[in-house]
Amino acid sequence: MIKTTQWIAVCLVLGLSVGTAFSQGLSPPSNVTAVDTPNDDGSSITITWDAAAEESGISGYQILRRIAGGELEAIGELLPAEKTTYADSAIEKGTTYAYIVRAVSETEATVDSEQTAPVKGTGEWFHTGKIPLFITMLLFSAAIVWNIYSARSGKELFVRRIPGLEAVDEAIGRATEMGRSILYSTGLGGVSGVATIASMTILGQVARRTADYETSLRVPCRDPIVLNVVREMVKTAYLEEGRPDAYNEDDIFFLTESQFAYAAGVEGMMLREKPAAIFLQGTFYAESLILAETGNSVGAIQIAGTDSEHQLPFFIAACDYTLIGEELYAASAYLSREPMLLGSLRGQDWGKILIFAAVVLGVVLELSGISWITTLLQRVS
Amino acid sequence: MKRQVPLVLCFVFGIAMIFTQFSPHSFSQGIYEEVISWALIIGPFALVLATVTLIQTHTARIRRRTEHWQYSFVVFAGLIVMVLIGMFFKPQNPMFVWLYNNVQLPMDATMFSLLAFFIASAAYRAFRARTFEASLLLITALIVMMGNVPIGNLLSNDTASEARQWILDNPNLSARRGIILGVSLGVISQSIRIILGIERSYLGGGD
Repeated sequence: MIKTTQWIAVCLVLGLSVGTAFSQGLSPPSNVTAVDTPNDDGSSITITWDAAAEESGISGYQILRRIAGGELEAIGELLPAEKTTYADSAIEKGTTYAYIVRAVSETEATVDSEQTAPVKGTGEWFHTGKIPLFITMLLFSAAIVWNIYSARSGKELFVRRIPGLEAVDEAIGRATEMGRSILYSTGLGGVSGVATIASMTILGQVARRTADYETSLRVPCRDPIVLNVVREMVKTAYLEEGRPDAYNEDDIFFLTESQFAYAAGVEGMMLREKPAAIFLQGTFYAESLILAETGNSVGAIQIAGTDSEHQLPFFIAACDYTLIGEELYAASAYLSREPMLLGSLRGQDWGKILIFAAVVLGVVLELSGISWITTLLQRVS
Repeated sequence: MKRQVPLVLCFVFGIAMIFTQFSPHSFSQGIYEEVISWALIIGPFALVLATVTLIQTHTARIRRRTEHWQYSFVVFAGLIVMVLIGMFFKPQNPMFVWLYNNVQLPMDATMFSLLAFFIASAAYRAFRARTFEASLLLITALIVMMGNVPIGNLLSNDTASEARQWILDNPNLSARRGIILGVSLGVISQSIRIILGIERSYLGGGD
């Protein structure tokens, strides 16, 4: 008896809902598909459906999900009427799901779509959207590697003059003549920063010369790992120059990890010790101008270099020489004149020619109303 | 052997980390996260070494009575107080938070504030119209400054603001993008040199 009453009630509710839906012309979402989201780790399924007509009366959509053989459950919030896609990222990998998109009207009448085919999330091994980027990377890497190994043949490679690197000897010579120290800052970057590695390479070359000239080289460090690597590098440079006695471990020390405390510490060193030459090479942030201006005020010859493009104007304004962006990375090849390193610079230039050609071609095509190169670059980004 | 093992490790991990950028699979992303967490674990060990060198440096300063050696006691006081409070009362302790908010933050803010004065002195030198380039810089800077202040727009009927935006969106952005492209290529080139073992400076110099 109770069962019969329940059935009547359910039928009445369903009948009313369907009746209301039909009376408002509410039609079920069409072309509902659920697919494994491409290029992800298998942690989401994307559900899509056709956009409803403007006067359909639909005020939103509710996504319902069912694990094979299980109950329907509502997932996520009510989606706005203009949405036609939803990514379900709360799935368990390997589990099969089926979806229903429920259209909801302003009077809260509902109508359900057909259930989608079962689908499960699987992770992809390769991101197909990154294929153009991957090919570009391979081409560029091949150009660099080819130039590196062709440089082994001993062919003379032209490298344009970089004044900031030409001035390294002048700066060290000046400090030696004045009997004052050289201050070298590797910036705020950690050892994983490529700019910091480039800075340490320059430091190695500077250390060889200070070992020769017996000039004091002071290196305040901000990163503990950088400190240890720098100590090892400078020590090796002094050993190789046959001056292990001139190496003083205390000259390379940890200052602090705090940005402005580091700036205050280095600034204090500049004012107290009045170094004759200051090298600011690596990654710098807001402290760049504080350091460069203080160095300028003590009359030191300053050679700066950074890849932080926001800090470059400050260095250019306050320092005698500035290595702009890529010049910092070219420093190791330039100073050491190692053919294989010089070869990599040539490969880098090939990359620049390629990019320049793409820019010119893109502009010409865009002006002619052809936008495939722009579309391709937008897809890569 | 001392050199070859790090070079092999660098090559293997360098190539693996490149491929994790192209593979969204949970296995490769797991490797990426694992390696990153290894790198984070190394940090605290190095910090111990750094603290030891800090203590050595300041002990030597006090022993040798170098200029302003008294400030080294302030370093020790700060180090000991913060470490003790942090260790025994946790960093969320109100005393620790109070010291951070009322000692370290104001000092950081003071240093940061100095930047305004340094900008003024650097701008004075850079904008002295002694050469064509410096004059160009001066004129451009004046337009940008006028575009940034209300009086500039009031006097020029918003022309200064439009001119400023044009300068930032065209010549300025073009130059920045040029630098960024060069830096990106430089980074790739340097990374390839490191992965292939041609650039070995990070190993502590030598061959």
